[in-house]
Parts: sequence; C-alpha cells; structure tokens
Amino acid sequence: MTGTAHLVAEAPLARDDLLLDVRGLRTHFKVMDGTVKAVDGVDLSIAQGQTLGLVGESGCGKSVTALSIMRLIDIPPGKIVDGEIWFDGRDLLQLSDSEIHDVRGNDIAMIFQEPMTSLNPVFTVGEQIAEAVRLHQHVGGAEARNRAIESLRAVGVPAPERRVRQYPHELSGGMRQRVMIAMALSCHPKLLIADEPTTALDVTIQAQILELIKEIQARTGTALLLITHDLGVVAETVQHVAVMYAGRIVEQGTAEQVLLQPKHPYTQGLLSSIPGRQRRGRELSVIKGVVPNPFRMPPGCKFEPRCPFAWERCRASEPSLAATDRDGRTVRCFLHTDEGASRRGAYEAAAVAAVRGVVAQ
Amino acid sequence: MTEIETPRVKELTPAELEAIQLERPDFEVKLESLSQWQLAWRRFKKHRLAIVGAVLFFGMCAVAAFGPFLLPYNFYTIPTPDKFVYAGRPPSLAHPFGETGGLQRDVLTLVVNGARLSLLIGVGASIVGATIGAIVGGVAGYFGGWIDNLLMRIVDIMLSLPLLFVILVVSKFLGGGSWYLIMFIFAIFSWPGISRLVRSLFLSLRGEDYVDAARAAGVGDVRIIFRHILPNAMSPIIVAATLSVASVIISEAFVSFLGFGVDVTTPTWGNVLSNSLNFITVGNWWWPLFPGLAIVVTVLGINFMGDGLRDALDPRARE
Repeated sequence: MTGTAHLVAEAPLARDDLLLDVRGLRTHFKVMDGTVKAVDGVDLSIAQGQTLGLVGESGCGKSVTALSIMRLIDIPPGKIVDGEIWFDGRDLLQLSDSEIHDVRGNDIAMIFQEPMTSLNPVFTVGEQIAEAVRLHQHVGGAEARNRAIESLRAVGVPAPERRVRQYPHELSGGMRQRVMIAMALSCHPKLLIADEPTTALDVTIQAQILELIKEIQARTGTALLLITHDLGVVAETVQHVAVMYAGRIVEQGTAEQVLLQPKHPYTQGLLSSIPGRQRRGRELSVIKGVVPNPFRMPPGCKFEPRCPFAWERCRASEPSLAATDRDGRTVRCFLHTDEGASRRGAYEAAAVAAVRGVVAQ
Repeated sequence: MTEIETPRVKELTPAELEAIQLERPDFEVKLESLSQWQLAWRRFKKHRLAIVGAVLFFGMCAVAAFGPFLLPYNFYTIPTPDKFVYAGRPPSLAHPFGETGGLQRDVLTLVVNGARLSLLIGVGASIVGATIGAIVGGVAGYFGGWIDNLLMRIVDIMLSLPLLFVILVVSKFLGGGSWYLIMFIFAIFSWPGISRLVRSLFLSLRGEDYVDAARAAGVGDVRIIFRHILPNAMSPIIVAATLSVASVIISEAFVSFLGFGVDVTTPTWGNVLSNSLNFITVGNWWWPLFPGLAIVVTVLGINFMGDGLRDALDPRARE
C-alpha cells in the first residue's frame, strides 16, 4: 500500500470509543491464474451504536470485507494476508478458533443477501433461531424456544408461536428475511452486519425490511454495517458511508457529505447513474468501462482507466486515502491534493450536476 | 329493498378472524407443518412398486425375526431320519419346501434360519459402511485440502483391493467363519463407495448459504457437518445404503457358496445353496431353488424399495 491514512501511533487515544476498527485489511485469494487481491488495504471503523454503509459495485470487495471481519473466508483459497480487525478491544485476527466461534453470532451477527437459501431446509425456523441462543447464551431447550418466539415477535412476525414450528419453505421471502434478522438479533449482538439484506426482495418488502432494521438498530443500540450497492438504501438507513472500489476504500464520510458532496469521481459516477425523474427521456448515464481485471490492476489509481478527470499523475502512482477537510472526511483522489487543485473546478461542476439530478426527485 | 345486505363476516377485524381460525381445529390441520421426512413418506406411499418392495423386504425381516419360533423343527436339532437316505424328498405337506439329501433336513427351516444371518450381514454391513462412509466423506468434503486428499487416496486403495482375495485371506488367517467378521469385511468394502458419494454431496452443500449462515452464527465445524449438512445429504445416502443391502446379500451368498463365508454348518442362504451343490445332479431341485428364491425376492424387494426411496426423497420430484 502506498501510504495508509491511519497513523497507528495516534490510534489508541483517538479510537477508544470505536466498536470496530479495521486497519489495513488485505484479503487475497490464490487461484489458478494468480492472486486476486479482493480486499487490498481497507480501513474502516464504526463507533458504538453507529451505522456505516459500505457501498460499491459487484466485485469490489464489500462482501469479502464483511466475511473477513467474521473470519469466514475459506482458507484456502482465501487468506487474510495483512491488517488488524479491532473489535471491542480485541484483534479478531489474533483470536483462536474457539474464541472466534464465541464472537460469531454472539457479538457480531450477520444477515445474508439471500433469505430463500440462508435457512436450512430441514429444520423449523424455531430450531434454527434457538440453536444460536443455546450455543451462546447457555440456556436450556425450552428457554431457547421462548427466546426464539420472542425474537420473532420483535421482528414483526405474526403468530410467532405457530411460526416457530414451520419450515422455511412455508414462508415468503420477506418472512424469511425477518427470520434471519430475528436469528441475528437473538443473542443481542454489538455489531450487526447486513450484506445486501434487501437485494433479493421485491420493492415493497425492501422498504419494510429496511424500516425494520432501522427501527431495531435504534431500539437496541447495536452498531450496523450495511453492505449495499444501492445508494437509495444508504441515504435512508445509515449515518456514515464508505465507498469501495477494487478492494479499497475510495471515499469516507457522513451519508450527507458523501451523497450531497461526492469528492471521488467514482462516487460522482455512481450518483449520476441513478435514474431520476429529472433525467426522464434522456439516455441513462453510466460509468464507462468495467472493474479492472484483478490480475492486471492499473499501476496508479485503480479508477484511472474509467475516470473522466484522470491525468498523467493518476497513472504514475496510487493516491492515498487522505483527509480532505476538518470534518473527518477522507478521499483517495489526486483531485483533492495540491497537484489537482487546477482541475478541481471541472470535477466539482460535474458533481453538483450529478447530485442535483438525484436530489431534485 | 333490492339492496343486498352486507355479510357480517366483513365486519370482523383481521385479528378477530385469526382468533376464529385458531379455534377451528380443521383449520389448524391444514396449517400443519410437514418435515422433509413426512413429505417423503407421503410420496413413498404413492409409489406402488416401492410399497411392494418394502412389504417383501420387511416381510422377509419378520420371517427372519419370528419364523424360527413358529416352525415345528428347530435348526439345531436335526429331525431323526426315518431311514438313512442319500437323496432328499420333494416338497410335501409336512415339508412344503422339501427335505435335503444326506441328513434329511427341512429346507423351509434352513431357509428361514438362513434369513437371519443373510439379512443381518446385509443390513449390518450397509449401516456400518454408510456410517463410516458418511463420516469420512463428510470430513473430506467439508474440510477439503490435505485431509480430503489423504482420505480419498485411502479410498482409492480400498477400492482397488479385490474383495474375494481379502475374504479368503481373512477367513484362512484370522480364523474366519464368524458372521460378524464377514459383516465387518463387507462393511470395510462398502464404505469407500459411499464416502465418495458423501464427499461429492458435501462439496456442493458446503457452499450453500445456510452453511455460511450457520458459520456466521458461530456454529462449530463438527456440528455443521453432522447437524446442518448431513441431514441435507441424507436422501442419497439412504438410497445408496438401501441398494447396498441387496449387493451385500448377493455377495454374501456368493462368498459362502465358494466356501469362504460364514462357517458352513451355520445356515445362511449362501451356505444352504452351497450344500445343495452335490445333490442337484441327483434331481433335488427344491434344495437350491428355495434359498435361491429367497435371495431373489429379498434383493428384488430392496431394489424396488430403493427406487421408490430415490423418487420420494428427491426434492425435485416435489408435487
């Protein structure tokens, strides 16, 4: 990595209030043709009870980041080659297998993208929720069952006493996602990771599920890491946003800052590709090109080949994730360094246009 | 007044409606949750040939279990021959399956007693083999890597050993002839095939979302293998184990026939067949016919049942 944003020396002082603090995480996969650097130097942090949205297009490393935090990467072919994942005062990467089993499901819980396939077809939903409870809370069968009913009720499943006896195939997609959420919340985790929790649901259910996650987050005070490619979901649900591209964080800030004043050309590109009412009838805007081939990453900025604002500087070396102003925002782009000062004007005009197209809706 | 009165049901709130529905037992029955096994049993019942097969197989099991108590002749006390004859006697009312040559034993008694060990060896070896196969295949498929490589090379070696040769060696050098030793050998020879099947099932099931979800919930590897993946892999294992009962019964008969199986004085279908060898030329057709028929009926029943199980347990066949 060509210079990381975080300064390890000052870290212990400033980061006491952080629940999750990922530093310089690199997760690589060794495959036949070489090494895929799916996550290559990710820094992100979440304070107690806060919500962070991790945004990016398919294949940028969002899910791998989440799975790395849970230490659920398959080894081989995957390997966490570098970094630290501080959670609640412990580096998760240093924990033994049995210690990490205690963290999973208990301190950190995860909701998956596909509610249709994330429940085991041979068990009733009650058994599946109760399993996590029995495993972590060391309670008996009857108590675990009551807890399962309670958590189903908490996520708005009607007639939970009857639902616990049903099998996953008897439930609709929205219902199953509620079950998944109930399962995740049954042990009162400190951090909830939701990996595209609404992608597989239809639009009306999406809104319900997001509302539910938001409400539960507010009620229980659990921290939330929401992974999504949908900027609309981000705008509605989270306080902070980190934008990922090609295994790196390219921009970080509050949801308002990132969505209303995007600093990175990639974020700006994402915003302008949202179809909006203002743009009706016009051709949809796209980010030209594709995510770079993992075996032939550009030598400089990874977004440079697709970036309309790129110049020679961007090909020479990779920018670091640097603070832009005093309000804690960071961005990985030369436009916001002294070298890019002369070009910033053109970018900002495009960014304003992109934001106007969405916000005016 | 032409206006139609609004039905009173409409005035009920959804909550009241649900309360009514909950109190109606017939409504509850409709909502009864069926597990995968209950659904499979439903499908199995509709499969006529499978039911015939199951009746044949379990009928034979019942004969093996209770038959010896119901017969007039005890296997161990040979009925005293009324006169010393070499040739047997054809089926009669007193001996419906005829009598053997030589010691003039009742063939029915031999077949019924033989069912015990033949079925016990067949079922026992298959259960032991399927259990070992499920454990080895599950561990290999779930963990992959060097564990998988090691276990599968052992399987390759096992599958390249000739069954007959090993049985010959064991029965000659380990003092073979006891039924549990024979059963154990058949189990040793049946697990490698099943472990390959289970491994391939685990390789695909390991990538299922619910396995990731279980891991994310903090469930340990052993529990995931046996509680989460194995039940989902159970259907093909059951089918394979069922069909393996048939092949073990045939192999046992074959090995006994050659004189390397269970001790010749103990009745198994293979031994009864083997003993009849010298009397076939004398025209004692009933002596080999009835134990042979018993094998055919049992194996056919198991195969029908296996086919039915395959259809009933295949989730794609769900109506």
